[in-house]
Amino acid sequence: MTVFAEYAWLVPVFPVAAFAVLIAMGRGAGRPGAWIGTLATLLSLILSLCIAGERISGKAEDYSAHYHWLQVGNISLSAGYEVTNLTSLMLVIVTLVSFLVNLYSQGYMRDDDRMPTFFAYMGLFTGSMLGLVLADNLLTMYIFWELVGVCSFLLVGFWFHKPEAKAAAKKAFIVTRIGDLGLLIAILLLFWYMPNHALDFSTLHNVFATQSGVIATGITTWIALLIFLGAVGKSGQFPLHVWLPDAMEGPTPISALIHAATMVAAGVFLVARTFDIFQASPAAMHTVAIIGAFTAIFAATIGLAQNDIKRILAYSTISQLGYMMLALGVGSMPAAMFHLFTHAFFKALLFLGAGSIIHGVHTQDIREMGGLGRKMKTTAWTFGIGALALSGIPPFAGFWSKDAILTAALDKQPILFVVGAVAAFFTALYMARLFFLVFTGNPRNDSHAHESPAVMTIPLVVLAVLAVVAGFVQTPFNGWFAEWLTGDKAVEHGSGLVMVVSAAIGLLGVYLGWLIYAKGAIRRDVVSSRMPGLVKLLENKYYIDELYHLLFVKPLYALGKVLNAFDDYVVDGVVRLAGQSATGLGRLNARLQSGQVQAYTLTALIGLVILALAIAGRRFW
Amino acid sequence: MIENIPILSFILLAPLVGALLVLLLPKQRSGWLRITALVFSLIPLALCLWLFASYQPGAGGTAFTEHYTWLSIPLNKDASQGIASMLLHFDYHLAVDGISLPMLLLTSIVSSMAAMASVHIRKRWKMYYVLFLLLETGMYGVFLARDLILFFIFFEITLIPMFFLIGIWGYFGREKAANRFLVYNGLGSAAMLLAFLILIATAGFTAAQAAGGYQLDFSGSYDVLLKNLSDPNAYANLDPAKTGDLGLHLSNNLKWGAFVLLLIAFGIKIPIFPFHTWMLRVHKEAPPSIVMIHSGVLLKMGVYGLIRFGAFLLPAQLHSWSTVLAVLGVINILYGAILACVQKEFKLVLAYSSVSHMGIVLLGIASLNEIGLQGAIYQSVSHGLISALLFLIVGSLYERTGTTELDDLGGLAKSVPFLSGILLTAGLASLGLPGLSGFVGEFLSFLGLFGSMKWLTAVGVLGILFAAVYVLRSVLGITFGPIQDRLTEIKDARFVEAVPMIALTALIILLGVYPSILTDLMQHGFTGLLEQFTQRAGG
Repeated sequence: MTVFAEYAWLVPVFPVAAFAVLIAMGRGAGRPGAWIGTLATLLSLILSLCIAGERISGKAEDYSAHYHWLQVGNISLSAGYEVTNLTSLMLVIVTLVSFLVNLYSQGYMRDDDRMPTFFAYMGLFTGSMLGLVLADNLLTMYIFWELVGVCSFLLVGFWFHKPEAKAAAKKAFIVTRIGDLGLLIAILLLFWYMPNHALDFSTLHNVFATQSGVIATGITTWIALLIFLGAVGKSGQFPLHVWLPDAMEGPTPISALIHAATMVAAGVFLVARTFDIFQASPAAMHTVAIIGAFTAIFAATIGLAQNDIKRILAYSTISQLGYMMLALGVGSMPAAMFHLFTHAFFKALLFLGAGSIIHGVHTQDIREMGGLGRKMKTTAWTFGIGALALSGIPPFAGFWSKDAILTAALDKQPILFVVGAVAAFFTALYMARLFFLVFTGNPRNDSHAHESPAVMTIPLVVLAVLAVVAGFVQTPFNGWFAEWLTGDKAVEHGSGLVMVVSAAIGLLGVYLGWLIYAKGAIRRDVVSSRMPGLVKLLENKYYIDELYHLLFVKPLYALGKVLNAFDDYVVDGVVRLAGQSATGLGRLNARLQSGQVQAYTLTALIGLVILALAIAGRRFW
Repeated sequence: MIENIPILSFILLAPLVGALLVLLLPKQRSGWLRITALVFSLIPLALCLWLFASYQPGAGGTAFTEHYTWLSIPLNKDASQGIASMLLHFDYHLAVDGISLPMLLLTSIVSSMAAMASVHIRKRWKMYYVLFLLLETGMYGVFLARDLILFFIFFEITLIPMFFLIGIWGYFGREKAANRFLVYNGLGSAAMLLAFLILIATAGFTAAQAAGGYQLDFSGSYDVLLKNLSDPNAYANLDPAKTGDLGLHLSNNLKWGAFVLLLIAFGIKIPIFPFHTWMLRVHKEAPPSIVMIHSGVLLKMGVYGLIRFGAFLLPAQLHSWSTVLAVLGVINILYGAILACVQKEFKLVLAYSSVSHMGIVLLGIASLNEIGLQGAIYQSVSHGLISALLFLIVGSLYERTGTTELDDLGGLAKSVPFLSGILLTAGLASLGLPGLSGFVGEFLSFLGLFGSMKWLTAVGVLGILFAAVYVLRSVLGITFGPIQDRLTEIKDARFVEAVPMIALTALIILLGVYPSILTDLMQHGFTGLLEQFTQRAGG
């Protein structure tokens, strides 16, 4: 039975329509106009819930439909959508987070005179992400993939007059485009290697999952790695993570959207959607696992030394996405999607909470905050729940999903498990640092912080509830989620050891953070006084940005300058020389308005006569 | 019923009639002049849309054709004892197929929009519009002509008005630019003429047996050439003993000569590195409304010529030089893109980006398959629309700010949100954002070439990364960031400026979202050529 799935195409259409309406109305739409965007997202949410409900309750068939996009010879490139359990899950995540962010933005963006534009962009952003989720083939997905990228660019650069926003938007687009090139070439490869040039996911599944050997392993590895390059760019994995922390120059609700449900989730989703290709190539799987694990610990260490509240959260996102990639790399797609699911809620919660804090104190530096717990009660306790979920403290959602990943990692490769566990410790530590510095102790500046309006706190409360309960869909005692997602009964059951270890690590991190930043039992500069070099390295994010600037940006511009001179003096110079030697012609043409039409027509006529003569007297040449 | 109306001639002649009317109008009435020019640009647009609506690709593409013998010149018959008579035809032969129709549509759209954009022209309106309309006729003629000589004439006709339009109404360095334009294109025309001559003299005739020997009938007819060149036995019945030392057969060396000459002739127009410097100057110095036509349509005449004559007439040569063409394409893409990244002047950014985008067209042609060839045409049309839109905006921006130097601009999104929004959209289209037309052309071109040359394609794809760099650098440089004081008071687009901008943007979106509208036209356009390639590959 598929009732709602047939209308799945409407899910992205609502927000995109809102975008079109709002853009057409321009700034005149005003504050009421902004509600069009929110309402459209609400409609999408309702429909997504119906679709997911239908799939959870009954034995609904996968539904897909596609349309002719363009035809070349007898090859047809189509655009289509497909509803499966995986896509319906993503629909709910995206629309739910997007709706809550929309609602929140009604309060957060209240005083911005470009509010309708903001909601228009957000509609296109949500719609593109939904289109990406629903796409039934890689080309359609790529189209929406790029649109998601451009929307994130527009929103990061929403406050376009700020030079930082301009730079961040540009960086986000260009860095992710490096990954997009990989995905594009992967599509080109698939097009030419797949039987009948098929690009749709069900054919991909048939070809790769059956190990039929239609495509050689070497090519499969290339395809998988190139797809992964796309995911690395979008999901902010090392070495293309540099855009994500800068992307917080956008309005904070957008950070929540980018970091939780749209944009960065797209990378993980892409790998999950083409998982059969990865599974057909062990080399690609290893790469994914290693990059994921490395990114998880790499970003977590940077998070320890940052002072900007949004930057800390941004690095935590990179780190958590690393976990998801790790899960994919060790072959547990359900664990990755599970973590994506829980992470969407608690990360949206944390960013919206951060927005609420910034709204109240007008600074992003956690060293200037403090004691906010008393002034912003709702924000404080919801943020606390989010922080606990992120730190992997039971029974919050993040614990269960991180546990699933660590279990899968331990099964495959103990070293990956250790890396993941250490990263989890750092995560708990930097979240504790963040929480205690912001909400406890004495205020460190004299701003009159106040709680945010209800339109902003209600989404926080909803997300806080979800951050508590969302984890229970899949626990070591209940494998419902993985079973529903993959249709497989055989799901790994967690070991008690992993649970204990991961809970202990999380608690230890929080405890240490409490000792340092709340109780003051350990001096804060205990590390920085002994190893100033290390702290400096972390504060400067391992100098990756500077390195890239030196390695890529500067040489490119230098090359450009050299080529520019070459173009001017050599390529054009040769012509100039030739032109000067033909001074007669030059002088003739310098006089522009003296009967040149006739002269030129004459030249053309002479040419014609020569043509005729040449044909006539052809035996002489 | 449509068959009975010489619609192609109407398209061709409407601007000419307009030019005559403009000549009759008083020269100080700029409004009348502008409206006349616009109306006579819109008539071909309407007719082209009619063609578009009634064109059926399955019908073989010759549904619309007009053919009259124009001149017939007897040549000296003492050439050889075996020849009874020699005749030289000049034919007026127009036709439309799946390759020329997209180009015609592009021409009519861009010309109409450029006519509207000519509102910024400040002097000598009458002469301007006469030349403008003459230029239009030339362009239509190029895409309609099915006779080599006719094609050559129209090709030349576009040069004369362009020369004056650049030289009189351009910016500071206009005269030098016009000069450079003429020198280069003159060289190209010479090469083209020579190539056409070789082709006509050796393969452009039909031979019939008559009482006194052969009757040789020379003409520049494209159909005759196509038939003779694609059929290895075309002149099998021609006895070499009787024709003497005429050497009527097109030898392989001559074919190569003709191919290289055509590549140079159209390579200058496209332009292919290192023949591109003239077009940088035109982009920089010509008035924006003329650059719209130049970048939008005139460069595509090179693409069209290369496909129509280079590919269709000499497929074997193209086949063996496909790698050369692909390498030239990749050089164009990367060279143009890297140079676009360091330009300080917006028009030069756009000029180098045109070099880069035309490189993608070359890749499509080099692919030798239908995907790539359709991609090449699609990319040409799309680039035509996008650069027309970009230069339309440049014209409006220059009117308001008096500069196109990137350092002197910034933050315009605050004072002119509409113009900035359109500029951003055009920029995104230019960097190949899916959902806008640029992506389809690029994707098809890359997809086509990837089938035969994987590594070259992969290197070429890098170009779209650089495209993101130079587009964002320049467009964000103009629209984002803090606004300079002197730019805060400027006004947003007027209605007359906004109409063509919205129209072009809408078309760019339409072609990006629903590409079938254009690709369906081309469906049977390449059938004959592809058969030739398959034969090469097979044999």
